[in-house]
Amino acid sequence: MKKSILLVDDEPHVIRVLRLMLEREGYEVASANDGNEALEKMAARRPDVMVSDIQMAGMDGRELCRTVRSRYPDETFPVFVMTSMTASQEREWVRELVNVEFLEKPLSPRQLIARLTTYFATPENPHA
Amino acid sequence: MKNNRIGLILVVSSLAVIALVVTLMLQRQHAEQAEQLRVQGLGSVRALAALPASVLLPQPDGANQSGVLGSVLAQRDHPGFAYAVISAQDGRSLAEVASPGTIVPPAAPLDLAGADERSVAPGQNARAIREFRAPLASADARLQLRIGYFEPQGLLDLKDLPFYALIALAVFLLVPLIYIVIKREMAPLAALGEQLKTLGAAQAQPNTALVAGQDADQDVRGLAGKLNRYLDHTSARIRELEQDSIASMASGRLLEYGSNKMQAVLQCLPDGLLVLDPAGEVTFATGKIEPLLGVPVAEVLSQPVEAWCRDPELRAMLARFRGAGLDARSQMTIEFNPLGVPGKRLWATAQALTGHSMAYGTLVVLRDATREHLARQAGNDFVAHVAHELKSPLNVIGMYGEMLADVGNDDAAVRVEAINVIQDEVERMTSLVNNLLNVSKLEMGSMRPERHRVKLDDLLRDAWQQARSRADAKGIRLDLQVARELAAVSVDKDMFRIALNNLLNNAIKYNQQGGSVTLSAEEGDSDVVIAVRDSGIGMTPEDRERVTEKFFRVRETGEEQRGGHGLGLYLSNQIVELHHGRLTIDSELGHGSVFSIHLKKMPALAEGGQVL
Repeated sequence: MKKSILLVDDEPHVIRVLRLMLEREGYEVASANDGNEALEKMAARRPDVMVSDIQMAGMDGRELCRTVRSRYPDETFPVFVMTSMTASQEREWVRELVNVEFLEKPLSPRQLIARLTTYFATPENPHA
Repeated sequence: MKNNRIGLILVVSSLAVIALVVTLMLQRQHAEQAEQLRVQGLGSVRALAALPASVLLPQPDGANQSGVLGSVLAQRDHPGFAYAVISAQDGRSLAEVASPGTIVPPAAPLDLAGADERSVAPGQNARAIREFRAPLASADARLQLRIGYFEPQGLLDLKDLPFYALIALAVFLLVPLIYIVIKREMAPLAALGEQLKTLGAAQAQPNTALVAGQDADQDVRGLAGKLNRYLDHTSARIRELEQDSIASMASGRLLEYGSNKMQAVLQCLPDGLLVLDPAGEVTFATGKIEPLLGVPVAEVLSQPVEAWCRDPELRAMLARFRGAGLDARSQMTIEFNPLGVPGKRLWATAQALTGHSMAYGTLVVLRDATREHLARQAGNDFVAHVAHELKSPLNVIGMYGEMLADVGNDDAAVRVEAINVIQDEVERMTSLVNNLLNVSKLEMGSMRPERHRVKLDDLLRDAWQQARSRADAKGIRLDLQVARELAAVSVDKDMFRIALNNLLNNAIKYNQQGGSVTLSAEEGDSDVVIAVRDSGIGMTPEDRERVTEKFFRVRETGEEQRGGHGLGLYLSNQIVELHHGRLTIDSELGHGSVFSIHLKKMPALAEGGQVL
């Protein structure tokens, strides 16, 4: 069964490239422009992995991650957050949440694909 | 002769003064002794009379052989003590204690209920005695207790002798001094007096008048000359004294003026000043302290530092400068947010106040660093923002590059899309980098306008054309309202294009889909007004005031992030000012903005002139 990925970013170019590349690798891709849209999509179907930007208009990535973890406490699917802000305060809130990891910007789609492949190849990981 | 008389008068009067002073002192001493005696006598007689007679009188049974009276008064509580007696109504003495050589005078009848005193004239005894008496509390008969003291003699107390001698010596030394001064000042006048007297005597003898006629004339002339010299001398002395007085008054006023001026200078300084004494208490504070720290100056001057200073950083610094420790030699600066004035940022510099090898305490200078702090913060924010702005297009370019490499060979549509996006993003980055470079050039002073006569309608039409694609992409209508026959202006075409592009970019950026932007130009009598009007989000009056500041960005409250970098309007304003024009802003929050460039018109072009 195809693994589903939810992409959240307000930059349409990023969504466009990642969707194209991930679909070519056999993933099922859904996308959202901001946190609120992502929560709507998630209410219908929980993804196997969420990849989200942090700086977004409306509900930002940090708020989205906290809401997801508090709304679905049993669903520990991994969340990869992308940001160009590498400040320590960004690292701190990520550490507080379960199974949330960083993706440094500028993001390489190949690196993301490699991370996902490694993640799903490890059977102990949730949703692997 | 006369001088001798004056001397004598002075000696006599000084003796009189000494005598008067000594008499007054003796009188005072005597009065004090008499009063002391009364207090002592009445006190003793009242205290003893309150005891029962049986206690005071000696008892035959041996239990109280001498009686309390004997025991108490035998100690002779006062150097002038004469006797103490308990007398019966018939005058008999029931008990008696007397100092050696004193004969107790007979008792006088006592009718009083309380204590009383009387004077016993010298007779049996050589000195007068003051007797204090009181009825005794006794059941059998009317007994009275009498205690006598010798009246104070009022003689000079030997122990006071050096004191009186010192006063007399001082008066005696002063007399010759006064005498010498008077004699010096009076000498010319005395000489004149003598001469007048001689002249008078000569004229009083008629026989010698004829012979001495010529001599007398000479004497009168001599006298007049001396009188004149004396008057001159006196006038000169008066003038000298007057000048001294004026000079002293003037120097006093000058000092006061200087001090007031210095105070005014200190009060006018934009910084707040505090001066602390070496003990660490404030002795001087300027009025600027109040708006800076939020503490009234009166409180600062009247209360200890711990009471008025609520800021721990400032308090710690002032404590370090208290006393004369090593720190007092160095300077120290701190930066803090005063608790009394929210939103303010202050620099406080403390320095030891020294000079002429004296330590006067500490000088503390408080400076409002809010603007610098905000500018620094804005600078940091700006760097973070520019980094983000540069990383975002780089991110997209990198992704499309990878996609191009992986998918591009198979899919022509993806290839075209990737190339277009990469081009757009490179343009976006170039615009930001160009603005940064222009700002840098402007600030380094290397951006100088090369002004030429320019047809304004062409310039505006070009700018409008360039901005159209951006407006279309955001769904914003971009209108141009420019007459063909606009007057020419003298501008640097390239620089002016930067200013116009930035105004148009902002109008598009801070707008919403379906909104509109109008670029227009109107010609007045002496100037041309170019206006960029938008139907965008507008600004608050506070933001409008600061929007042309470098790095200032309007706080974005809406859902959309506009991605401004706080340089566009700053750059536009600077460029307009370089052209001796001015940029005005009219804006209302939620109702759009109008940015207007006012430029001076050029005079009508001469035949054959070059228009760019």
